[in-house]
Amino acid sequence: MDFRFSDDQLTLAESVRDYLAGTHGPEVLRRLDAEGNRDPAIWQGLADMGLTGLLVPEAQGGLGMGLVEAALIAAECGRACLAEPLVDSAFVGVPWLVARGQTDGLDEVVAGTRRIAVPHPINPWLADSEGAALTSVDPLRNLAVAEATEADDLLLNVGALMSAAQLVGLSDAMLSQAVEYAKVRTQFGQPVGAFQGLKHQLASCSVAIEFAKPVVWRAAQALQDGLPSAPVHVSHAKLAASDAAMLTAETAIQVHGAMGYTYEVDLHFWMKRSWALCGAWGDRAFHYHRVEEALLGGAQPIGPEHTFA
Amino acid sequence: MKLGFSPEEELFRKECADWLNAEMAGEFRDIRGITKLTASPERRKEWEQRLGEARWGCIGWPESWGGRNATLAQQVIFAEEYARAGVPGRVNHIGIELAGPTILAFGTEEQKQRFLPDIAAGKTIFCQGFSEPGAGSDLASVRTKGRLEGGEWVVNGQKIWTSLAHISDWIFVVTRTEEGTKGPKGLTFLMMPIDQPGIEIRGITQINGDAEFNETFFTDARCAADSMIGAVGEGWKIAMGLLAFERGVSTLGQQMGFRNELDEIIAAARANGAAQDPLIRQRIARAEIGLRLMRYGALRMLSNTDHSKIDGAALTYKIQWATWRRSLGELAMDVLGQAGEVTDGSTYEWGTLPNLFLYSRADTIYGGTNQIQRNLIAERGLGMPREPRGDI
Ligand SMILES: Cc1cc2nc3c(=O)[nH]c(=O)nc-3n(C[C@H](O)[C@H](O)[C@H](O)COP(=O)(O)OP(=O)(O)OC[C@H]3O[C@@H](n4cnc5c(N)ncnc54)[C@H](O)[C@@H]3O)c2cc1C
Repeated sequence: MDFRFSDDQLTLAESVRDYLAGTHGPEVLRRLDAEGNRDPAIWQGLADMGLTGLLVPEAQGGLGMGLVEAALIAAECGRACLAEPLVDSAFVGVPWLVARGQTDGLDEVVAGTRRIAVPHPINPWLADSEGAALTSVDPLRNLAVAEATEADDLLLNVGALMSAAQLVGLSDAMLSQAVEYAKVRTQFGQPVGAFQGLKHQLASCSVAIEFAKPVVWRAAQALQDGLPSAPVHVSHAKLAASDAAMLTAETAIQVHGAMGYTYEVDLHFWMKRSWALCGAWGDRAFHYHRVEEALLGGAQPIGPEHTFA
Repeated sequence: MKLGFSPEEELFRKECADWLNAEMAGEFRDIRGITKLTASPERRKEWEQRLGEARWGCIGWPESWGGRNATLAQQVIFAEEYARAGVPGRVNHIGIELAGPTILAFGTEEQKQRFLPDIAAGKTIFCQGFSEPGAGSDLASVRTKGRLEGGEWVVNGQKIWTSLAHISDWIFVVTRTEEGTKGPKGLTFLMMPIDQPGIEIRGITQINGDAEFNETFFTDARCAADSMIGAVGEGWKIAMGLLAFERGVSTLGQQMGFRNELDEIIAAARANGAAQDPLIRQRIARAEIGLRLMRYGALRMLSNTDHSKIDGAALTYKIQWATWRRSLGELAMDVLGQAGEVTDGSTYEWGTLPNLFLYSRADTIYGGTNQIQRNLIAERGLGMPREPRGDI
């Protein structure tokens, strides 16, 4: 047993983080918000990095990686509040197609000229898909109504996992925005971060986020390995990540005072993405229900030997 | 203790309900049910005037100032019926709940004559100019300067987060009038007409896309020398007196708004099946209990007529309702599920419950943040040692 990532995995995630930090800062989010949300150059940049083909098999020109790597990168997309539907298309749509052996046209996905958006009854609105447009609370999210014809479990689980992964990245980013603000905003002659009342709240966010992360990685590994328990792991991850994100969003706004309640401070983009993703691919009630059913219905074995499963 | 309403009070209820329902079914039906703070400001100003004409604007005020000298029970009843009839919130709530009572308590006879009848008549809309970019929780660190010049106050500086300044007629400001002072000393409380070249207002967009609050800039802005409440240098005392009114009868109207919101959540949960989820059921029940706590807490607080010292009920009130409502916002979103996150309109406009979620993010911030409330409860209420603070 080893919960560490390999050097390659870490290097990959770091390079994506650096790339997004350098090319996709808050000023880009503001520009996109003002100019219609999408910029083909950003998408092309992601494709050039190989990210659109991350989960496409090597035979179709992709990188042939797994859900663990994809989850790590999804977290980076969350951290950067990436507006483009990379996660939806390349980390949810693609693995679903690959699992069904539908590999035709994946080379176009790798090249960035084709995107995949697959509806599911639990998630009837799809990012950047065709169909009647809806306005999302997340101003950078382009949603469209999509009628689902089947309720595929793998699709649901990958969708929920990738939402959870983005949520931990979003939480990390909101926490650091709040910490930075608390260091520079002074009241009563000192940085507000020096007041224990604020410090302790931010510390509590950190606890929630740090505990959500390994659950997400565990779920990614379980899904990648096709474990029968994977759906429950995914629900654990979605719940822990949603709770961490909502707590951090609420706290980060509070730390910013009235600033946090404006459209003019970057934080709101992250907060709204978090809100949207918490409801995507099964809301809290749905995932609680799955955990309850598995546990009380007997599908999930209990007992000491299953504690670390 | 006397709880419940007498037969005379029930008659008064009928009088309120009949009048409000007739207005909301008639001339003002276009604004019935509005919950958005910035919606239809002009019509809502007309509504303020209608309330004023019929003497329903400030019923708790003395009759000589346009009120009805209403008892606490009558004010409770009016607030209940106001909410039940779906009447939109008061655009002049700062005027009727803060400026008016402050003038009544601390103003000169002339100031009372000048302002109170017009506030009661819905003709003078006030906004609150306390916060500055550098003075939020630490209100005493305001820097906006006031000086007397040729029989007038001349004000320079900037206020921020001034709610509804763009539709107001007057603003009250806390200014630093003694050069070189720091903290609560050397402040003066001024009332200024907004429509003048020295005052410029710029909207700030809120999280939900609305612009309820503003930046307010003062560049040689002027008001008459006697447009000050209290004496020169007494600004802090007046400001603190004013903030105490924030815990006044306005809380009743506010609670009725909460009642409507919770009822709307219950209706939504019934309609979409969320009401079957045991977790949601329990949270709705908890929200209901929270509302009861606040209701009796408010009655206890308002029944206390000795305002010489702040009691436990008054000290704990703000954090209780603010935190309750913030979680109500979360409950609303969990009840709506994904449907709460989208609209089919093409504009960034939100329905009542998503807006409730967004608005309620601010409840724990304005009027003293939750942290400041806890400090007050611990330090003033419980007498605990003060937390070390920096050099001001
Ligand atoms: C919707 C809305 C409407 C408003 N309307 C008005 C208005 O009409 N007129 C007006 O004058 N103002 C208005 N305000 C401003 C409001 O009064 C301030 O936002 C509030 O006083 C907090 O100040 P701040 O925003 O500068 O936060 P800050 O004071 O900068 O606080 C930042 C963070 O530090 C914390 N903090 C600060 N001091 C301490 C401490 N001693 N101990 C522990 N934690 C601390 C705070 O709790 C907060 O979490 C409005 C605000 C909002 C959100």
